[in-house]
Amino acid sequence: MYRVLSYRRSLRSAVLVLLALAAASFAPSARAENPTFTIGWSVYAGWNPYYYMARSGILDYWGRKYGVNIKVQRFDYAASLDAFVSKNIDACTMTNMEALDMPAAAGVDTTAIIIGDYSNGNDAVLARDGVTLGQLPGKPILLVQKTVSEYLLQRAMELNGLGAKLPQLKLYNTSDSDIVGAYLGDKKNQVAVTWKPLVSEILAQDHGVKELFDSSKIPGEILDLLVVRTEVLNRPDGSGIRFAKAVTAAWYATMAQLTGTGPNAQKAIEGSAAASNDSVASYKDQLKTTYLFRSALMADQFATGVSIKDKMKLVRAFCFDHKLLGQGIHSPDDVAIQYPDGSVQGRKDRIRLRINDTFTKLAAQGKL
Amino acid sequence: MKPSFHPGDLVGIQVRPTRLWTQSLSWVLFVAGIALYVHLAVVRHQENPYDRVVPTAKQLYTGMKNAALQPAEEDMPLDASATLWQRVHASMLWKDTMASARRFLIAIALLIPCIFLGLHMAIFPYFGAVFQRFVLFFDKIVALSLLPILFIVFGIEEWSKIMLMVIGVGPTLILDTFNIAKSVPQEQVVKAFTLKSSNLDVAYRIVFKQVLPQIINSVRLSLKPLALFLFAGEMIASTDGLAYRIALMRRHMGMDVILPYLLWVALLLFLLDALLRFANRRLHPWYQPH
Repeated sequence: MYRVLSYRRSLRSAVLVLLALAAASFAPSARAENPTFTIGWSVYAGWNPYYYMARSGILDYWGRKYGVNIKVQRFDYAASLDAFVSKNIDACTMTNMEALDMPAAAGVDTTAIIIGDYSNGNDAVLARDGVTLGQLPGKPILLVQKTVSEYLLQRAMELNGLGAKLPQLKLYNTSDSDIVGAYLGDKKNQVAVTWKPLVSEILAQDHGVKELFDSSKIPGEILDLLVVRTEVLNRPDGSGIRFAKAVTAAWYATMAQLTGTGPNAQKAIEGSAAASNDSVASYKDQLKTTYLFRSALMADQFATGVSIKDKMKLVRAFCFDHKLLGQGIHSPDDVAIQYPDGSVQGRKDRIRLRINDTFTKLAAQGKL
Repeated sequence: MKPSFHPGDLVGIQVRPTRLWTQSLSWVLFVAGIALYVHLAVVRHQENPYDRVVPTAKQLYTGMKNAALQPAEEDMPLDASATLWQRVHASMLWKDTMASARRFLIAIALLIPCIFLGLHMAIFPYFGAVFQRFVLFFDKIVALSLLPILFIVFGIEEWSKIMLMVIGVGPTLILDTFNIAKSVPQEQVVKAFTLKSSNLDVAYRIVFKQVLPQIINSVRLSLKPLALFLFAGEMIASTDGLAYRIALMRRHMGMDVILPYLLWVALLLFLLDALLRFANRRLHPWYQPH
């Protein structure tokens, strides 16, 4: 009898606890005055400034001005993409290629609001023993497949008239966390494609390694963006627009500081180098091969120029040829891109990636 | 008359649920899992018809069909006249499964000497003296952290992946075999010697024979760590294999292929485990786990 009683009693208390928990989760949480937005970023020369921007108070200043709270959170690159696609964060740093093949191809309408930089030598094809591009077929090539590394390799072959040999390349999908060790540890691995600072690490430790090709030969093709979900921008209360304005203004303020002179520039470089635990020297070396759009005007000229469409076309074709746009996609036009002048690459009813220069233009005109 | 069901029965030890009940209850979590998934997929697709994070049954079916009947992207496409068998044989799934299975089976073959080492350590004092402390130490090394060294020693091709599995699982298996063999009562060994057994007789015909079923069970438990190390190795550096494909698909959210692949791996592991269990029961009908 006692057993039954205590059982009943514990059941009743369990139900009470559950009810309390449910009530607590439905209770209106204390509402912050300003809406909060989260930016995800990952380690890369052109994105490290986001860390400095948040730490230095620049972002807070502009956030207050536009009445939004902006959080900046560091991720691994792949994890940041996952978080963005599954809508856990509002904005994210990524390359033009991933913007197209991850969120845009997964049906998440995405808007690029800042074109921060392009890789101008940060990505490189490395080889030892004097191997040339023509000798690549048949040799194992270490790289992270289906990323800008593979794109760079393909462009290197095409630009040197070796496009027909592409199917003969033996690609070895190697995680970026282990590529340096795998390449340096075994001299039989003669070729690798990777990015800085890994490139610098390899070149510093093995003087027999030479760069065969790097992204400075395809300027403006590997773009580093800040993208926002379009639905966030279109929030009816206008908070998404305010967020975009605040982050754009803060970004160009940071850029001005970083590319300027004097102690302030030094502070910005140190702060950005600290974002990836790099030494200032190593970070400066990475910046040399990163073409930063120093001012909003420069970025806007690039965004509204003619060449961006040709470059995106190449990237789009690569993504489609490698089936990165998904199973049901039968033409690269099914994941369409809209440009600042309103023109659309692909089907008008399936615009997934929008290059939006509204905020950059406002920044260039000093209206933010 | 059947006694009626009391809620208190749920926590009763001496209750005897009917066969129908136990059978249906065993499927409840499966149904709940599938229902939850379908619900999630429907909700996400209402919001975004092109969602790739939680693919619908149709997307999964297409993904699975393409994986099992179409060649991998890096291979030559088949001509239209290919028979079903040719298609399957040239498919991405077949290629990846063969590559992974080869690594897996070689690793298992290399674990057999580990078993004999453990046996010898337990029976021959000099073996024990040489190996026991070292294996005990080596067992605590996290094998994954050795990977850069494995790359240097074995190259990045097949052997580094196979050795990762062997190094990761081997020491544990050696120690387990050692403990199992040690638990054979000493009286049996003495008795065998009094019946004019030789050293090898005692080792292989007395001890090994009766601990073999337990060792096979130990191998069965090692299947999952083996698969884990195989996946780790393939994800870090490779040109084919089941985990290689999953790593590639991850890069553009190809969940429509990843999920069938995961289920396929689970099925293969389940079958291998069932095979070992079946063989164990057939070979050692006398074995009664205590």
